Amino acid sequence: MDPDALSKAFVEHYYTTFDTNRAGLANLYQETSMLTFEGQKIQGSQNIVNKLTSLPFQQCKHSITTVDCQPSGPAGGMLVFVSGNLQLAGEQHALKFSQMFHLMPTPQGSFYVYNDIFRLNYA
Amino acid sequence: MDPDALSKAFVEHYYSTFDSNRPGLATLYQDTSMLTFEGQKIQGSQNIVAKLTSLPFHHCKHTITTVDCQPSGPAGGMLVFVSGNLQLAGEQHALKFSQMFHLMPTPQGSFYVYNDIFRLNYA
Repeated sequence: MDPDALSKAFVEHYYTTFDTNRAGLANLYQETSMLTFEGQKIQGSQNIVNKLTSLPFQQCKHSITTVDCQPSGPAGGMLVFVSGNLQLAGEQHALKFSQMFHLMPTPQGSFYVYNDIFRLNYA
Repeated sequence: MDPDALSKAFVEHYYSTFDSNRPGLATLYQDTSMLTFEGQKIQGSQNIVAKLTSLPFHHCKHTITTVDCQPSGPAGGMLVFVSGNLQLAGEQHALKFSQMFHLMPTPQGSFYVYNDIFRLNYA
């Protein structure tokens, strides 16, 4: 599959899952996965999903502004760099964010998130 | 060297070079390096430096707000995720940007930039 198409498909799937079924993100990470969320370092699918499901908001909507991707090397990985808006229910203004994912291939022909770094972009 | 210290050292070196001696960035990239600059894809050190030295400003200063890093896999690579401000000479307001680097080790024990993605963060 074309890398640009693949990264767009991943991004749509990731944020749709985040916005509708946050616990469902668990199958996108593995035990070796790493998340740095606003500077806090977390490792492993279970810990990562615990962090994401315990964020202090129930409902949110991500809208994506830009998606850039590049192959990351001989292991077949893909780097995906996203910027967008995060609207929290009840808040007047959306938050702006940037996020990078490093996707690694699975034996079944799919991808999982090996590296994930999230930062809010303050005005 | 501790990964956090290494990534901070790299970031300082990268942006100092960018701000004071832009052609000097050539030694940080190789023929296989990839840059995506505001959506434009460029490959190879020579083309990358040609792009960066032809940007429509002479003087600039990067100030870094956040630096996050994670190891990228068995090849010994390092992902570095930066956010900061870019002040152009003569402009009243600084631009905000996010940038990710994927550093790969060289046989000499140094690092070069294999992947580089840059995006301005518009208000």
